[in-house]
Amino acid sequence: MKVDLSQWHPVASSSDLPLRHVYQGQLWGHELAIWRADDGHVNVWENRCLHRGVRLSIGLNEGSELRCLYHGWRYANRTAGCTYIPAHPADAPARTVCNNTYQCIEKYGLVWSAVAPERSFETPVTLTDTAPLTLRAIPINAPSDLVQKFATDYPYGMVTHKSDTSMTLQSGASELQLFFQPVDSGKTIIRGLLIPQPVDPIVALRHHNAMMTALRDKIELAVSGLSPPRAIEVEFKPVAKDLAQMPNINTAGPKVEFRAKVAKKWITSQNVMAFRLEAFSEQFPTFQPGAHIDVSLPNGMLRQYSLTNGPGQTDHYTIGVKRDVASRGGSICLHDDVQEGDVIAISAPHNNFPLRRDAVKTILISGGIGITPLLSMAQALKAQGLPFELHIFVQTAADLAFPEILHDLDGLTKTYMGLSPRATRNVISGVLANYVAAQHVYICGPGVMLEAAREAAKKCGWPDEAVHFEYFKNSKEIDYKTTFEIALSRSALTLQVPAGKTILQILRENGIEVPSSCEQGACGTCLMTVIGGEPDHQDVYLSTKEKASNQKIITCVSRSKSNQLVLDI
Amino acid sequence: MKLYDYELSGNCYKVRLFLSILGLNFDTKPIDFYPGREHKSKALLSLNPLGQLPIFEDSDATFCGSDVILSYIAENYDKSGFWYPKKQRLSIDNWMRVADEITATASAARLHDTFFYDLDIETARAGAHRLFRILDEHLWFSEKRGDDWLVETPFPTIADISCFPYVALSEEGGISRMDFPAIRRWCDRVKRIDGFITMPGIFPTSKAA
Repeated sequence: MKVDLSQWHPVASSSDLPLRHVYQGQLWGHELAIWRADDGHVNVWENRCLHRGVRLSIGLNEGSELRCLYHGWRYANRTAGCTYIPAHPADAPARTVCNNTYQCIEKYGLVWSAVAPERSFETPVTLTDTAPLTLRAIPINAPSDLVQKFATDYPYGMVTHKSDTSMTLQSGASELQLFFQPVDSGKTIIRGLLIPQPVDPIVALRHHNAMMTALRDKIELAVSGLSPPRAIEVEFKPVAKDLAQMPNINTAGPKVEFRAKVAKKWITSQNVMAFRLEAFSEQFPTFQPGAHIDVSLPNGMLRQYSLTNGPGQTDHYTIGVKRDVASRGGSICLHDDVQEGDVIAISAPHNNFPLRRDAVKTILISGGIGITPLLSMAQALKAQGLPFELHIFVQTAADLAFPEILHDLDGLTKTYMGLSPRATRNVISGVLANYVAAQHVYICGPGVMLEAAREAAKKCGWPDEAVHFEYFKNSKEIDYKTTFEIALSRSALTLQVPAGKTILQILRENGIEVPSSCEQGACGTCLMTVIGGEPDHQDVYLSTKEKASNQKIITCVSRSKSNQLVLDI
Repeated sequence: MKLYDYELSGNCYKVRLFLSILGLNFDTKPIDFYPGREHKSKALLSLNPLGQLPIFEDSDATFCGSDVILSYIAENYDKSGFWYPKKQRLSIDNWMRVADEITATASAARLHDTFFYDLDIETARAGAHRLFRILDEHLWFSEKRGDDWLVETPFPTIADISCFPYVALSEEGGISRMDFPAIRRWCDRVKRIDGFITMPGIFPTSKAA
């Protein structure tokens, strides 16, 4: 039998994919895990968790993510990218950790896929503009060429059309379309479509089920006694080399490699404009709650915005931008100049504010537009059924951004309006009172509020590791006056950092590529390990404990107190 | 209530599962079925001369065999009356016969593969495939009718409890359920019954939204 991996075949019926189920399929020996997300999207993935090879068809369809039953790795709808690894609760998995997927399309009550398609899916001519009845699929333990030969005798009118993968039978005004899905060398599934829908579908379904079962028995009788053909050898792609090794620290700085269409722009609250960005190719890269993207603006500026998306929403990104008249012009440009239909360049998501999912309870505290990353977190926690509360501080009701998401979080949020800084501090102290081990708090908001919240957490006995925060910007006055030397241990280079220049700039000038994003000491992308010397921390990313340890430095703003700083690069 | 129990037995699991669904408390006495063959010991044979598990004691009475125990518990402790409704008893009893057939085939294959029983594995697997084809067809047409369970009732019955375990454990006997999508969906539905518990080899599924 000729194996043609490029052919499209139906691999499941639409009705095989009810809410939160994972269907186990196979095509040319390649096992498939097929599942429908709550948003209706059908995923066809290799039936193998890239971590330890366990079948994903025994995994858990949680609506927007598929969880492997073995070690609980979570994979996003559409991209199949890993969003969380329970054994590394504090880390954001690399974007490259991704299961193998197959192209698929759902049409005419069937899900179609191909192992190695050379062309995109083409509708079989006979199906155009029809709404057929999907018959019960019948697996037959026989090779597909043999099944096709026997099927020509199927008791239904006359064979009017035949191809390598299908057959059309005509009876009066009705048509029966049979598809032969080569499961493996010795197994075939017949999938039938009846056009048009008969008056009594159940009678037709029963009738064809009986006919096809009889056909199955006839074929299986014919092959009984023959030794079954050798199973098709399936090649398992090894994990990419760069995934199996420690990555090099040389990915370039702000890189806006994706083009996005502004599909929708709307006022979500007073002074806050929301943007729905859609990908030109089918999807954007996997993100995790807390992630942000760099957005390249028409005025040449590069700005960071947190994604508000819920888990598994990888067909679009949503950001919220507050109009800030006092700002350097980024928000004004987005509000006034960027219109629906425009194309802008964005980066892949970075996540320096990752969400743990092993907390006994998660407390989210937002001030103003700081709600955006916390909305993503809240939706992920809700989807997973993990206990959390979201405390929202705003000036007035008109300042509540993304009311539609808040509506879905109904009962899990608490809103405080128009509180003075002092009252805000008191409320936060109340929220953070009674620290219990393994609770975690995530805070995002204006600097003053963040400082107050961090102070309150400290007073209430929260350890540094349990307090996670993200600043909008670094409002500290940065001192660029010092001069010092940096020794790069891996690169075997010693460089001078003069007054007025940053470590990051000097590294780049000397050909060392360092990832960066906000370049003002707030986002944490340019974080580097310190091996020797004493850093002069000027960022708002590292926690007090991390700063005191002298083992990390944010290279875009921080400098050195010692004459020399030894960096692990 | 006391259950003479073996953790890896699908038949004992039927009783544990049903008691858990009904929210009843019970004591268990663990029996060393493998490799100790304690079910063939004198003490156990005096309770059940057939030398099989599960054995169930309530008040002063002793019951043997999972089907008998399930119907006893349903009749005496199920306040809802849904699990063994009078009108559907013939149909339920019929599916319990099928459950026995599943035990004789799918469970036999598992005994061969995981407990090293000396029996004809090909016959056992072929028998299970034949039964699974019948079960899948039945469940597929039930779904088309809008029914979720083996017997035409809006609620699961002890027929579902009785057939479920050795179907769900079939892979331990080398029997894939890939060809039986309606069975796989029914397994998900059983796993979503309130009070469902797992056993080694029977995993949980996700919540239905």
